[in-house]
Amino acid sequence: MKKSRRPFGKILMFLMIAFFYLPIIYMVVFSFNESKSLTSFTGFSLRWYEHMLESSDMMTALYTTFSVAILATLISTFVGTIAAIGLSSSRKIIRNIMEQVDNLPMMNPEIVTAIGFMLLFITFQVEKGYVTMLLAHIAFCIPYVILSVMPKIRALDPNLADAAMDLGATPWKALTKVIVPQITPGIVSGALIAFTMSVDDFIISYFVTGQGVKNLSIVVYTMSKRVNPSINAVSTLVVVIITIVLLIVNIAPLIAAKKSARSELGKRKRFVPAAAGCLAVIIVVLAVYQGGKGTGDRPFEGQTLHIYNWGEYTGENIIPDFEEETGAKVVMENFDSNEQMYIKVANGEPYDILVPSDYMIQRLIEEDYLQKLDKSKLDCMDKLSDAVKGLPYDPNNDYSVPYFWGTVGIVYDKTKVDIEDLEREGFNIFLDEKYKGDVYLYDSERDSFMMALKALGYSMNTENEDELQEAYGWLVQCVETMDTEIVTDEIIDNMAQGRKALGLIYSGDATYVMAENENMGYYMPETGTNLWSDAMVIPKNAQNPDLAHAFINFASDYDGAYDNSSYVGYTSANEEVMAVLSGEGGDYEGINAYIPRTDNENDEVFVYNEDTKKIISDLWSRVKIAASNAD
Amino acid sequence: MKRFSKLALPYIVWAALMLVLPMVLIALYSVMEQGNSIISFSFTLDHYIKFFTDPDFLLILWRSIAIAVKTTLICLILGYPAAYFISKCSEKTQNVLILCITLPMWINMLVRTYAWIGILSEGGILQRILGFFGLGDMELLYTEGSVLLGMVYNFLPFMILQVHTSLTKMDHSLLEASADLGADPVQTFRRVTLPLSLPGVINGITLVFLPAVSSFFIPKLLGGGQYFLIGNMIENQFITVGEWNFGSAISMIIAVIMMLLMMAVRRIEIHNQGGKGARA
Repeated sequence: MKKSRRPFGKILMFLMIAFFYLPIIYMVVFSFNESKSLTSFTGFSLRWYEHMLESSDMMTALYTTFSVAILATLISTFVGTIAAIGLSSSRKIIRNIMEQVDNLPMMNPEIVTAIGFMLLFITFQVEKGYVTMLLAHIAFCIPYVILSVMPKIRALDPNLADAAMDLGATPWKALTKVIVPQITPGIVSGALIAFTMSVDDFIISYFVTGQGVKNLSIVVYTMSKRVNPSINAVSTLVVVIITIVLLIVNIAPLIAAKKSARSELGKRKRFVPAAAGCLAVIIVVLAVYQGGKGTGDRPFEGQTLHIYNWGEYTGENIIPDFEEETGAKVVMENFDSNEQMYIKVANGEPYDILVPSDYMIQRLIEEDYLQKLDKSKLDCMDKLSDAVKGLPYDPNNDYSVPYFWGTVGIVYDKTKVDIEDLEREGFNIFLDEKYKGDVYLYDSERDSFMMALKALGYSMNTENEDELQEAYGWLVQCVETMDTEIVTDEIIDNMAQGRKALGLIYSGDATYVMAENENMGYYMPETGTNLWSDAMVIPKNAQNPDLAHAFINFASDYDGAYDNSSYVGYTSANEEVMAVLSGEGGDYEGINAYIPRTDNENDEVFVYNEDTKKIISDLWSRVKIAASNAD
Repeated sequence: MKRFSKLALPYIVWAALMLVLPMVLIALYSVMEQGNSIISFSFTLDHYIKFFTDPDFLLILWRSIAIAVKTTLICLILGYPAAYFISKCSEKTQNVLILCITLPMWINMLVRTYAWIGILSEGGILQRILGFFGLGDMELLYTEGSVLLGMVYNFLPFMILQVHTSLTKMDHSLLEASADLGADPVQTFRRVTLPLSLPGVINGITLVFLPAVSSFFIPKLLGGGQYFLIGNMIENQFITVGEWNFGSAISMIIAVIMMLLMMAVRRIEIHNQGGKGARA
């Protein structure tokens, strides 16, 4: 009666497995996609695999993920097993207390555990990085090992060890020859859990890492808003590795079974070849990766440059080219908001170069975090556009060299939006119910308030609280009546696919959107907008200012700047690059978003003010709450 | 065996340092004035007052718990029958099925969640399929539904594995005994199988509910900028706002609520064992 019935169960099982594997298959398929899109498959290509192999960021993340996992598994399995043996022979009260303590990381929400580790490392001033990540992983893995070893020890005859010793075994021998073999299944499954937890961990790693050390999860999280299909390629690689390991695991016992008839223990022993196979594959991959590093006689041979930049904000070749030319190694960490960058800098993490925005540079200068540039080492200032030099946040460019610049405006679908509406209403088009449900807002407190203040005819740098409250009202009306979606960089792909009619966008992203989809236009309201710039600065605690100066020159020079601008789509500060890219035959010919507007007196540059920033932060989170309640 | 008790000592020291101390630090930071260091400690309850007097924050807390409860219920409704079905298969099939369920867990959670963005987004594959049924206009991504889907997707395997373990551990002669004594399959399931699998269910609930309530990358990736849960709030305080003390207070609040809930759930377990299982 057991077999061939249960159609319901079979259907459920089938659907469930389809559900589990759908995203994985999707990911593998799209890793071969020709275009950047995550929704339409335009053709077969291997470009994301090439990109992945070239991207030192991803290969390093892969290395970090697996090396941390392997080390954490080995150490936590060893320590956990010994602790479990020790605890099982300890007094009951100690055992009970330790059981509760072990439960802490399992019974606490992971984010709480993560914050605990973060505060621990900060309080004791342990520099966050690879070591802290490893320590945290070991710490949360051990309890799982203990949990799976403990029941096996309890099941042992307590006289076993004594018997061994009565027969002349030393305690060490009794342990290794008698007890450990008996509890091996528990140890193996503990190790397996530890490895899985470590490989998959995101939350804890995210909070305890530093110095650009990233595992795969952190890379995905920090780049998620800018579409970069290389991550699909990396994941496909991981899938392949795991499949190979599983094949080895499943074939090895068959071979072993042929050699020896004893298949009783064979089933459990599968895990040993599993671990061995896993290790072997990973070591080969890492060896290949580590092997590809050249040497030579170059000015900064063997030195390291730490850059903290926006995600997806550099060209494909500039970093390898710079490494090639100078012999230095570049470690790049990414942020997705100025505030996130600020906190790390304020916590004393040493970077050689930062790329913050205008108002943040002003704040960093005011709070004395930056060092003056050594102009004798810079040969790039003449190559940069005048419009982006000498801005109020740094009038003499004593501290900063512009990187990208642009405006904030409205990206719109010419087939859906009447240009007359835009010209008449400006930013108030975001309140026009004609476009209800067809609107993206951008998740940035500064730019959202800029939009509202400009729509109301105020300065975006106002300190007047009534005006800010009015702008808050404007934004709440917008999210409550317009059925908006508040997005970040997803807007780029989504507008390139023509999914909504309107959106608030940075000019550089609009450039990319318009290059991908000719129906898209970019409009800057006459009432003015934000003229922004991001620039390279060197913090006071930089470890290698000479190399930093070299990089600033390199990135501002024609080749570097061209690579950056043509790949990212943002307007280069290098005048010649800007002219070539927007000129005849250039990548961005005829795209108005690429050329920042410099002739409207209503346009403003952001000024940092701590009090207004706090008010705006608070109000913006309330706008978002209003938006989620409007759903 | 007594002579091995010394082996536990290093671990006890380690656990005090790496497991207990961090919790103590969170508690300390949460009652400290903003900007103070541990050395110049000054006590305040402002951060807690700030949280509990703001209806917006309470709403976020409520919403986080609500979505975690929904996730747990869905996982239970889907996961239990699946585990039950698996446990009725032959041992070989069981191994294969369990492998099928564990395998995706080896692939990064974020990557798998990230793939859902492509599937659910406008113009994506799912919307095109729904289009055939005239439902093409349905918003899929950045809704509560997409967040819920992401959570169920990520946490359902935990439930299945836990329930499956408890079902396979069960003594099968009990089922036969029940049938011999005249119980029909439904009665056997209700009176024997279900109570005996309860520990697995409880473990499953814990393993689903805990990560669901504090998850912050699932709402961020699949909920868009406007879907804010308590985990996002904590992340925000630490990563972008920089008010660690307030962030610590929120962490404490969520940790305590979870502890109370878990204790309540455990109590059900103990109660049930005392009431039915033990006497049978």
